[in-house]
Parts: sequence; C-alpha cells; structure tokens
Amino acid sequence: MTTNSGFDPITLEVIKHELVSIPNQIDKNITRTAFSPLINEYKDYAVGIVDAAGALISQSKGSLAIFVANALGTAVKDGLALLGESELNDGDVVISNHAGTLGQHLNNVVMYTPIREHAGTGSIVGFFCVLMHWLDVGGATVGSCLSTNTTEIYQEGIQFRSVKLIERGLRRKDIFRLVEYNTRFPKTLLGDVESQISGCLSGKAMVLDVIQKYGMNAYGAAIAAMWDQAERRVRSAIAAAPDGQYYAYSYLDDDGLDGHDDVVPIGITVRVAGDQLEVDYSNISAELAGPLNAGRNGGAIAAARIAMKYLFSPEEPVNEGDFRPLKVVIPDGTFLSASPTAAIGSSGSMIPTVVDTILRAMAPAFPDRAAAAHHGTYGIHAFSGRSPVTGENFFHLDTCVGGWGASRETDGYGPSRSNVHGDTSDVPVEMQEAFNPYRIESYELRTDSGGAGLHRGGIGVVKTYCITAPCSLTLKIDRTKCLPWGLADGSEALGGHVELHSGDGQVRSILKGTYALEAGDRIVIQTAGGGGWGLASQRDPNLVSSDVLRRYVSPEAARDVYGAVMSLDGRVDIEATFQKRLTTTKETK
Amino acid sequence: MRYLIATDTGGTFTDVATFDLDSEKVSYGKTLTNYEDLVTGVLVGLAETDATLRDSLLLKHGTTHVINTLIERKGAKTALVATRGFSDLLEIGRGNRPIPFALGYRRAEPLVERAHRYPVTERMGADGMVLVDLDIDELKSLAIELQRQSYEAVAVSFLNAYANPAHELAAVELLREYLPNAYITSGTALTREWFEYERSSTAAANAYVGAGMSRYIETFAQKLRAKEFSGTFYMMGSNGGVLSIKRAIEQPVALVESGPIGGCIGAAAYAGALTMPRIIAFDMGGTTAKCALVQNGKFEVQPVYYVGGYEYGFPIKTPVLDIIEIGTGGGSIATVDSFGRLAVGPRSAGSHPGPVAFGRGGEEPTVTDANLVLGRISTDSFMQGRLKLDLAAAAKAIDEKVAKPLGYTGIDRIDRAAQGILDLATASMAAVVKEITVERGHDVREFALFPFGGGGPLFATILAHQLRIPKVFIPPHPGNFSAIGMLLAGARIDLSRMIVAPVQVGVVEKLLDTLEQLENEAVQTMRNELGAKDVIFDRTLEMRYRGQKHTVRVSFDKDADVITLLDQFERVYEGRYGHLVEGSVVEVLDLRVGAEAILPKPDLKKLALMPPPGSLPKAQQREVFFPLPHGRMSTPIWQRAQLPAGFVISGPAVIEEFSSTTILLPGDRAEVGAYGELAIDCPTSGDRA
Repeated sequence: MTTNSGFDPITLEVIKHELVSIPNQIDKNITRTAFSPLINEYKDYAVGIVDAAGALISQSKGSLAIFVANALGTAVKDGLALLGESELNDGDVVISNHAGTLGQHLNNVVMYTPIREHAGTGSIVGFFCVLMHWLDVGGATVGSCLSTNTTEIYQEGIQFRSVKLIERGLRRKDIFRLVEYNTRFPKTLLGDVESQISGCLSGKAMVLDVIQKYGMNAYGAAIAAMWDQAERRVRSAIAAAPDGQYYAYSYLDDDGLDGHDDVVPIGITVRVAGDQLEVDYSNISAELAGPLNAGRNGGAIAAARIAMKYLFSPEEPVNEGDFRPLKVVIPDGTFLSASPTAAIGSSGSMIPTVVDTILRAMAPAFPDRAAAAHHGTYGIHAFSGRSPVTGENFFHLDTCVGGWGASRETDGYGPSRSNVHGDTSDVPVEMQEAFNPYRIESYELRTDSGGAGLHRGGIGVVKTYCITAPCSLTLKIDRTKCLPWGLADGSEALGGHVELHSGDGQVRSILKGTYALEAGDRIVIQTAGGGGWGLASQRDPNLVSSDVLRRYVSPEAARDVYGAVMSLDGRVDIEATFQKRLTTTKETK
Repeated sequence: MRYLIATDTGGTFTDVATFDLDSEKVSYGKTLTNYEDLVTGVLVGLAETDATLRDSLLLKHGTTHVINTLIERKGAKTALVATRGFSDLLEIGRGNRPIPFALGYRRAEPLVERAHRYPVTERMGADGMVLVDLDIDELKSLAIELQRQSYEAVAVSFLNAYANPAHELAAVELLREYLPNAYITSGTALTREWFEYERSSTAAANAYVGAGMSRYIETFAQKLRAKEFSGTFYMMGSNGGVLSIKRAIEQPVALVESGPIGGCIGAAAYAGALTMPRIIAFDMGGTTAKCALVQNGKFEVQPVYYVGGYEYGFPIKTPVLDIIEIGTGGGSIATVDSFGRLAVGPRSAGSHPGPVAFGRGGEEPTVTDANLVLGRISTDSFMQGRLKLDLAAAAKAIDEKVAKPLGYTGIDRIDRAAQGILDLATASMAAVVKEITVERGHDVREFALFPFGGGGPLFATILAHQLRIPKVFIPPHPGNFSAIGMLLAGARIDLSRMIVAPVQVGVVEKLLDTLEQLENEAVQTMRNELGAKDVIFDRTLEMRYRGQKHTVRVSFDKDADVITLLDQFERVYEGRYGHLVEGSVVEVLDLRVGAEAILPKPDLKKLALMPPPGSLPKAQQREVFFPLPHGRMSTPIWQRAQLPAGFVISGPAVIEEFSSTTILLPGDRAEVGAYGELAIDCPTSGDRA
C-alpha cells in the first residue's frame, strides 16, 4: 500500500505477470496453427498488447528482435489518427503494412483489434496486436521483398493502410478477396491470416479477463509501474557510464544495384548525458536507389531500440519504459529514414550491421556489457521454382548462421542467426530435401572463421548445395567488406563468401542478385565468424589446444596468430607455449 | 507372491509404495536419496514397508539417473559417426537463440564435442534411395581408430536414415563386431521420424547414458536376485508405461522423465474411475511445480523432449508425457529487488539449507515459510513432526526481507507480505496451467484440477479460484502419489512411422499395411519381453493441413475411409483452433501405435485409508489467514484419516494428512468420495485473485 498509485505492490506484480504471459501464450498458439514455415519455424511475427495510445505494454519473447521497435504501436497510432477512436469498434480487426507508417518491407503486416472495456461496450483501453510476415503481397518478385533491384515501393507489393478486415465481427469478403488476389500463395497466406485473426481475438479476450478480474484502475496502475521500473533500470545503467560522445563507423558492401559498388557508410554518434542516451544518425548514407532502405520507424528507431535492449535489459520482458531514456536524431531522407515511396524490400537486411555499429560506439562507455561484432548479415538465400515432388510452386527462404562476437567475459557464441533474429530455427535439411529440387552436400563449421583473441569470436559455417532440377536463387549477402571487428585488440573475423560452381566448371563469386540455376550447379555459402576480444597472444594455451583439437582453429593459425608452439603431430604443446609466452613477456619488458 | 512394489528415486527423496494383494493394503517407505548408491537407497526404503522381495510379483522402478547423467555430464566417453559433411549437426543445431537479446546467450555444449565426431562416406536420398554406398573399408578403419581410442559408447546417425535405415543398420553391425565392449546405438533405432538434428541429438544422448544405464540396471537386478526376488523387474518409461529391462537398456533415453510420470498415471486412473473427462494433473513439490492434461482418462504424449529446457537445452526424440514444469515449489525463495519488485523463485532453498523455518541455516524466506506464518500448515507438518518448524524465525524473515522492503506497515504487514508471496507463486503457476491449456486450444475452465505432491493440495483451491476452475479433486495419499501411480502403471511401448501422404484414395490401404507391421512388432516385443498376452492398441494419426508445422492427433479406426478420416481431422482441428481452412490439402504425417499390456495392480477403492462410514471425526481450531477481505479467522483443522466417505466440510477449513495439507477457502465445500478423494467445489462467481 505504498506505491504512488495507492495499489498494493504485490497485486500490481501479479497483474504484470498476467499481462506479460498473455502474448507468450498466444505466440505458442500461432506457432501451432500458422502454415508458412516463415511463421512456424522462422518465427517472423510478434504478438503484443499496446495501450489506448499505442504505447507497448508487453510483447511475446520469442519473436524476431526487429519487432521490439515500435511496429505494433506505430500501426495502431496511424489507425487512431486516420479512423479515430469512435470508428474502432469492438469486433473490428484492422491491418496495416503502410510503408510511410511502418517503414519496413510490405510483408510485415500488423493486425490489431481494439479492446473496449465492459465486454466491448466501454471506451478503448488498449489493442491486441499480431504482426506477421505475409509470405507474399504481390510486387515484382516471388516473396515480394526479395528483389535486389527495385527502385520504388510500388514494385514491392500492395499496401494496406489501416484497412478493416473484419468490421464489428463481420468479415469483409471484398477485403479478403483483395488479399487473396494480390498474393502468389493465397492458400498458405489465408491460412496464416486465420491464425493471425484468431490470435488477435483470443488475446483480446484474455486481456479483458484480466481487467474484469482486477478492475481498470489496478490494471492501469500495474502498467504504469511496469513502465517506470523498466525505465529506472535502464536509466541507472546509463548513469553508471561516463558522460560523453562516442563514435563508430562501419559500412555495407553496396546498395545491391548492378554496377553500384560503392560502400554504404554508417557513422553513428552516441551521446551519454546523465541517465539519457542519444543515438545520432547524422553521418549515415543518404537514401539509396535500391531496396536497402527503411523508414524512420522501421529503420533508425528500430535499430536504436534493439541496441538498447541488448545492452541494458536483455533478460527482461520488453515494454515502452525500456526506451524512454532514448532519443534518436536522424535527418529525413537517409537510408534509415527513407521517404514513403522509396524501395524498402530489404528493410531488415542492414539492421544487424547498424545495431552492431551502435554497440561498437557504446563499447567504450559500457565495456562490461558490450561484445565484438557478429557475422552481421541476414544473408538471405531463397530458392524458388516448381517442386518436382508436389508439382506446385515452392519457395524456400533461408538465412545465414554465423559467429557472434567475443566479450570481456567469454568466447563468442555461434553459429547462430543475426542480432535481429531470435528464436528463429533452420528448416531441417531432411525436410528441404524431401520437397525442394536440391541436395545439401555438407553443412559444417568453418575452421578459422572466428576472430582471434584472448576470447575467440564465434565460428561460422560452410554449406554446399547441389541443384537437382532448374530453379532460381535469390541472394542478399552483406558484410563481406567491413569484416566483423574485434574489441580491445581482438582480431576481426573471416568474412562471408558465396560461390556458384556451374555444371560447366565455371566458378564465380556472387553476393546479391537473382540467379537461374540448372541441375548440377553447386552453391557454396561460407558465413562469417564473430570478432575476437583481447590479444590473441594472451589466450590460454589450454584453450588454444582445445580449439585445435576441435578444428575451430587450424594448427597454422594456432602457430601464427596465437603464437602457440606446435608439436610434430599438429597439436599445441601447451607447456612449451606457456614457456614461450613467459620469455616473450620478459623480452618486451 | 503377494506384493507389488513401486519405487521412485527422486531428487530429494526415494519413495517406495507397496501393495499386498492378500490383505489389499498399501504401505510406504521414504528415505533421503542416496546419490552414491541409488540401489541401496531403494532397499532401505523398502525395508520400511510390509513387503518382502522374496514374496513380490513385480517391482517397478522410476529413476532420475538418466536425466541426472545428461544434466551433470557424467556419461560415457562417446563418439558420434555421421554422414560425411554433417558431423557438426549437434553443434549447429537449428541456429536459433530462444533468448533473443542476450549478447552472452549460449546453448549447452553438445554432448559429443567436435573432436569426437567422425564422418563416414555414405548418402541416402530423401526418397530412401541410396545415392552413395556406405564405404565399408573407410568404416572399418574408423572402427579400428575408435577401438584404439577406447570409446565406451558410439552413436551412429545418418542423414535421411528415417527414409531408409539400411546404412545405419550395417554400420551398427560392423561397429559392434569391432568394439564388442562398447555401447552402440543409432538414430533410427530410437526414432523413425525426420529432422536430422533431433535424431542425431537423440542418438548421441542414448549412447552417452547407455553404458552407465546398462550397468545401473544390471547391478540393480543382481541385488534384487541376491534378496531372492524372482518376480519381474520393470523400469518406468517417460511415455507413461513400464518397459522391460531389455528395452530400457537399448533405449535408456526412454527413461528420461522416468520420475515425475507416476503421478500422472495415477491421475489418469482416478480420472477414469471418477468419470472426469478433463482434468489438469498438478504436482507441486519442493523445487518445482508440474502440470499435465488428462482427457478421457488419457494423457498426451509429446514426441520431443528438451534436456535442460527448450531455451538452453538439446532435444531428444522420445515419447514423453506432456508435462510443463516451472521453478515454483515450497522451497522457492522470495526476494525484493532494488526496484521494489517482489519475485518468488526460481531460486530454491532446496532441502539444504531449506526454508528459514527448518532452522538449518536458511535465511531467505520461502513459500513454505509464508504458509507457516499464515497458519496454513502447522509446525508439525514435515516428517510427521520430527522436523519442528520455527514460526518466529519464518515471520521475522518475511518481515525483514519482504514486508519492510515493500514499505508495508501496520500489525498485519507480515500476513499481507506472506499472502503476497503465495499470490505471486500462484500467478506463476496459473500462467503455466494456462500455457498448457491455451497453447493446445482448450479453455482452462472446462477442466477439473487434480493436485498432488506435498504442495499441490495447499495451493489447489487458491489456484482454482485464480483460474476460475469450479472443481478440485484431491486423491488419497497426495504426498506419495508418484509411487502410488507407478503401482497402477501398465507396460507400454510406442511405435511410429512417417507416412507424409495426402488423405486421398489409397492412403487407408497404406496406413493399414504399416499398422499391421507396427502392431506385429509390438505384439512380438510384448510377448518376448513381458510374456504379455493381451495387448491393447491405441492407434493415432498425426494429421495437418499441408504446410503446417504442427499436427493434430486423430485416432485411427481400422475401418476408416477417406471421408471419415477427413471428418475426424476437421472435428479435432476445429475444436482446437476454432476454424477450418477450406480447400487445403489434409495430409497424414505419422502413424503412431501405443501398445499397452495391463499388469497386476491394486484396486483403486482399496488405496484410501478411511474410517467406517458414519464415524464422527472431530476438528481442532487454529488461526489461519485467508486472503482479504477475510484476514485471520479461527479455522477448524481436520485430520483426513478420520474422514469417512460422504463427510462434508465447508470452508474455511484445513485438512491435514501425512505429508500434505489441503486448504478450503471461505465458501468452498469439500465432500469425501467413494475412492477417498476430496471433491471440492470452488464457487467462481465474483472472484478476485
């Protein structure tokens, strides 16, 4: 009975538990009912509750990191502005993928339903939202977002800006037809949409149940307390760092258009002032001609929020309070604040590098929390064509797993997906081979790919495909020029690399583009490792030895990079290495 | 031969329950688990019961040995032999990070590290055709190398072996010849389903625990023989049935959740007898709470289990009773963080030092301390009063570590803080119960709650009110229910085959064909291993709309046709998810056969210890705190052993028995049923938490 609100703090804690668990429960239901592997394996969706003004209350924990931005709330805010509260009725289900609002590729469709008090008769107290990556929303290429050479949004699919799919519980058949006839995969998509609708409606009922049980005032007080606590946690972490201005620089390989080889610069300034954090994007590339852009919300703000979450509250459920201490500065017309008509098909692809760069800028201020760079790319490799097994069109989207950066505490993890993915699983090789016209010949760890250091960076992989019938490959690989960097004198990692070995013996390196493949062609994808932390010459010889036994590190690298003494059988001579290190230290003194 | 024996080696206690077929009497033994020598611990517990091994018909044994070996990494020196190009599957996994924002996220290390994983040349196609022959010469050289490095266990797992296991079979045969003393296993000997990472992981885990488990079982059998036991020795499987010793040695991973299964089997047996179509079995002990759904007397079995949990652990494909677990138990510690937030668990005081009230050095207040402070349990409720609980110390700890940091003042501050601890623990447990129901498309209010374990009955009514569940059934002997359930278990094996075929003309023939093979295999196994004549089959199909990841389980009748199959699928699907997907292809992914043989077991009606009907029990009084607006009330305390069938008690009330306590909130009403169960009505209108 001591909180500012006058409510019992334990009651508020109990309500918070319920609100945090609802999106997770709906999340599991969606994984089970959705059709597209993009949803049920890749987890390209998010479930959440926002308040009557669109501020985030809670969100499912396993979904893609990129959605902790404000995708859910942003869509709702646009709906409120366009339709007004009075037009958002109980039983309405609204969708939006509007580029000018969300700033992410058009596949990301936010669906939400208003939560009205008193079993739907009262005023709006929040919205239940489910964002899903729709498999295809039309446009120039299969999958809509995969082209590497679109130049305006209209080539990337249909836009729905705050459109009601269901009105007061009645399905708008005309809108369903609009959806059905603007996708290449109507059956799968409409199956996913059903699961999305059912998630919204069940979630709404569960939130109403909580409100009924505890009353609107306690419900509101619990949310306010949740935001305040999250905010205080982040502020106290920021306040512990020295005030100052921190800068980091990186770049993307290119904008993906043919003939464009210039790198895309990303200069990030982070200002720490008291318990406030500012991320300034003034030194980044202008809007690009190709699809490697994102709007302000889906680009600049999303990346800054993800970086904050990584650094300050990784284990806590996300809510609006996490981001109150953050200010984002970005001029209009950059590639992370692109205009509403810009091509944004690859809106997520560059975010891993942007997040890496923000973390790099913050590393000196938060040395205990930061890590070296990770492999840093979605690394989309998508196969499509006609399946010889089912006779139907198939589309298989995969992304790269690679090494993660080492930190002051430990070696880097990996292989795993990018820092904007979460509980995103590979589709098993056996399932791919059962339906798709290729075989995977190998899928193995890539020796020496992790950056050397006192703590070694995580390891990347090598994956080889052998094509068995004509199909098409779309590739979007990045970070092959700006290699995953180390921290505190740790070394950079090996970068990614893709080769197409044609049946006629020709070999060429490929990174971005769409390629027609024939039976007998081979694709070899090598992914990057993570950066190292600290000097490699100081790594514990026991660990170097075990790295060599595990073939994470080759005997040559152990000798040349880590300065290990090797015995004749190719193993590390641990004792001799210790001795050599002692001598070297004395000499340098 | 008059005794049936069930024994469960748990994390803290080793429980033994016996049933005398002549006198129809149950008896119990309980000892602290002896980690150095698990078998002797069982024999000590057995000595406390009426039974003698010489006169015993059968002995069923559940053990945490397998899961402990996997979690504590105490298994054999193991090698993995994989298809060339795929020896890193264990380490690459599925590339996911279930904790998305943790820069330091790290999954548990693979059981077999890279230096011990060996490729061999061979390749199967997805259609089961051989693409590259198994290179026998290469395998022979490898076998010699494995021999030289004296591996104790070898796992073989090849890509696409689910479609054709010929190469795995050949490799296993050759390796057994070259390494006669090693434990050799293969992926498809354990599961015939696709997903290469999961299968490899299963094979690796089986090899890793196999050598030690074989020794454990053989030692156990030997010690039983030395005590002149001539009955049948069974191991408790994770699938809800017991396994023969032979099968347990071949598939030790099938014992991975051997421990907690007993209670669920017991719950299913009572659900059947009491004709309760839908119950939630809820088991709360010292460190965790677990729950499972039982529908129409059957529990669900999940095909994948994560050792160490989904977030950090690794998968094994073995049928495991569908149980969800949460780190909330009697020993869960309550803390207030620097932001003024109360949290309960997942840290637990365990049995050492235990709750503050144990007086063994525990300084942090726990759920048990809160129960004591509120008068919900008595100072004599542990080990029949041999462990006196310290009320004053518990109250002081809650005051200083919870009430004051939260800013509570006033004379009732300790009560309110203690109730808060229970409320928060309840909220966590309620979320898990909701998760298991909502995720599976059910409405929790359509279930009855069936609590057991030391803490289950204590939280039953508060949880029922929170979830708006109107009915609670508390079985006899809730504190020993795991061992009781095991007494009731039959022998069970689960077999499955992948089908992956659309439901259209011809599919039924294919299913019947496969069904016949599986059932023959099951009957043979049951006959050879158990001498069982009567085998009951449970035939189900995993079906889905093509493209979905998850399947729904539909029962399969031998006289089914395409129409009835589709009908049944749609009924189950719509019931679960509330909609159908018109025009989508429905396919059968797997055919599953559960084969069960009934073993001699006690009559449920004989399990309860009840006084003759009409006897008049007497209650004592104690002050007990009930959630506001009630506060402290003088409350009748009943002894369960004195309650005859038909006796009715209205809340507020406390019902005490050996190793457990049931609480009735004001307004609740309990009646003692024919099976000795407490049937409690919890009015759900106008509830608050």
